Amino acid sequence: MSPTVSQDMSLFQLVGSASLPVQLVMLLLVIASLMSWWYIFRKLFVIREAERQCDEFENVFWKGTDLNALFQSAAASRHTAGSMERIFEAGFREFMKHRRQPGMDTGTAMDSTRRAMRATYQREMDRLESHLSFLATVGSVSPYVGLFGTVWGIMNSFRGLSNVAQATIAHVAPGIAEALIATAMGLFAAIPAVIAYNRYASSMDRLATRFESFMEEMSNVLQRQAGG
Amino acid sequence: MALRKFVRPEPGRVPAAVLAVLVHLVFFAFLIFGLNWKTESPEGMMVDLWSSLPPAPAKTAPPPPPKPIEPAPEVKPPETKPLPQPEPLPKPETPPPSKPDIAIKEKTEKPKPEKKPLENKQQLEKERKEKELQEKKEQEQREKERKEKAEKEQKEKERKEEEQREKERKEKEQKEKERKEKAEKERKEKERKEEEQREKERKEKEQKEKERKEKAEKERKEKEQQARVAAEVEQLRREQEERDRLQAEAAAQARLAKEIDEYKARILAKIRRNIVMPQDLPGNPVVEFDVTVLPGGDILDVRLRKSSGFTAFDSAVERAIALSKPLPLPPDPALFPKFRNLSVKVHYLE
Repeated sequence: MSPTVSQDMSLFQLVGSASLPVQLVMLLLVIASLMSWWYIFRKLFVIREAERQCDEFENVFWKGTDLNALFQSAAASRHTAGSMERIFEAGFREFMKHRRQPGMDTGTAMDSTRRAMRATYQREMDRLESHLSFLATVGSVSPYVGLFGTVWGIMNSFRGLSNVAQATIAHVAPGIAEALIATAMGLFAAIPAVIAYNRYASSMDRLATRFESFMEEMSNVLQRQAGG
Repeated sequence: MALRKFVRPEPGRVPAAVLAVLVHLVFFAFLIFGLNWKTESPEGMMVDLWSSLPPAPAKTAPPPPPKPIEPAPEVKPPETKPLPQPEPLPKPETPPPSKPDIAIKEKTEKPKPEKKPLENKQQLEKERKEKELQEKKEQEQREKERKEKAEKEQKEKERKEEEQREKERKEKEQKEKERKEKAEKERKEKERKEEEQREKERKEKEQKEKERKEKAEKERKEKEQQARVAAEVEQLRREQEERDRLQAEAAAQARLAKEIDEYKARILAKIRRNIVMPQDLPGNPVVEFDVTVLPGGDILDVRLRKSSGFTAFDSAVERAIALSKPLPLPPDPALFPKFRNLSVKVHYLE
């Protein structure tokens, strides 16, 4: 560490001259940041798609289309269908099965229909919420990881100071600067992750509410059909 | 019953990855750019240190003089930085003496070539000069005569002019004197007249002032008189008003008292209606109660102040008071304070 004024303070210089643990920490943080941004964008697309499909299906459903026809089209496009369409499909399939069996009372049929819809609903929510916990983890842990790198770097730079007779700020400043980069990286990874996590969690809640109310309304419609 | 055992492909995995990398690239580019931008300030400091060395005055002084004599030293100062300080010292010393030398030589050389041709023509020149001298002398003689004559004429002329001027001056003075005397006379006359005029005006003014004062005095007296009368009238009017007001107040108070009495009577009547009288009490016993009333006629508290001596009568009246709520109160809330602490006095016989 030669403390001259003209020392190159560029980013690569700082990272390259850092000690090995600090470099490892930085690598980890870069990977975490990349991953979290990847998931941020993926989830963004997924949630947007889910909301769009939800809107479309609700439109069609409440237009008064024949439920049988709707079920046929949902079963045909099962691989590309949206979550709400899947819930509808599962419920209607179960309901039709019970109708075909003679001697089944309406209460039992409705119960099993509701169970089928709930199962699909839970599966769909699980799919939509996958990877959200990763964002939460990055958001809460990466500042600490960055802080660890910083503390390690500062420790080293002070230890180097102990051998010098006349201690100046120039002896420690580069070490501290390179150590602080780790904290900056940790924050850079954490802040977007936390923001995205909060946003997506609230989007999930809203979607779940929509699905649940749809299930209730669907049960009513089917019950009326069974009674009539 | 499991409708889907496969995992559906998520939309936009690759675009998401590309975008994530892009975000990081942008961020790092920004960081690198920002840090590089910062590293330039230390370089600037280095330049400052270099320029703070003081050879500047020595370096700037020498260049102009040595140019014509020796062009070699011109290259030296920029080449080596620490050297210039000792070298420039001798340089400025040598050039100054050398330059004046050249200047003097040039000056002395110039007249020489002119003298040589003159020696060759000396003879001719001499003759010409003598001739010229003679001519010059004659001319001078003529010039002198002419000048003397002119001088004489000039003097004569000046003398005449002087006389003329003296004459004119005297006439002028005479005239001036006359004019002044006349003006003085006129001025005096004028002053006298003005004085008279002023005196007259002053007298008139005094007269007027006196009249004005008298008039004012008269007016003032009249005004005072009027004011006195008005004050008396006002006093009377006020007294009248005061009396009216007092009367009105008394009337209002009487009305209020009447109203209060009326409502008290009503309260008593209501209580009386509710009394279940015990039979066959001797004489006409009287019981008194203190009742604390709330706004709206509710009863807060009933206390026995003076017993009638018959417990049955006392308790009958107390029950009746409790039954009579809400008590009839006047609609005017301003009157309520009169009813807050009510004393109820009930006679056994009507």
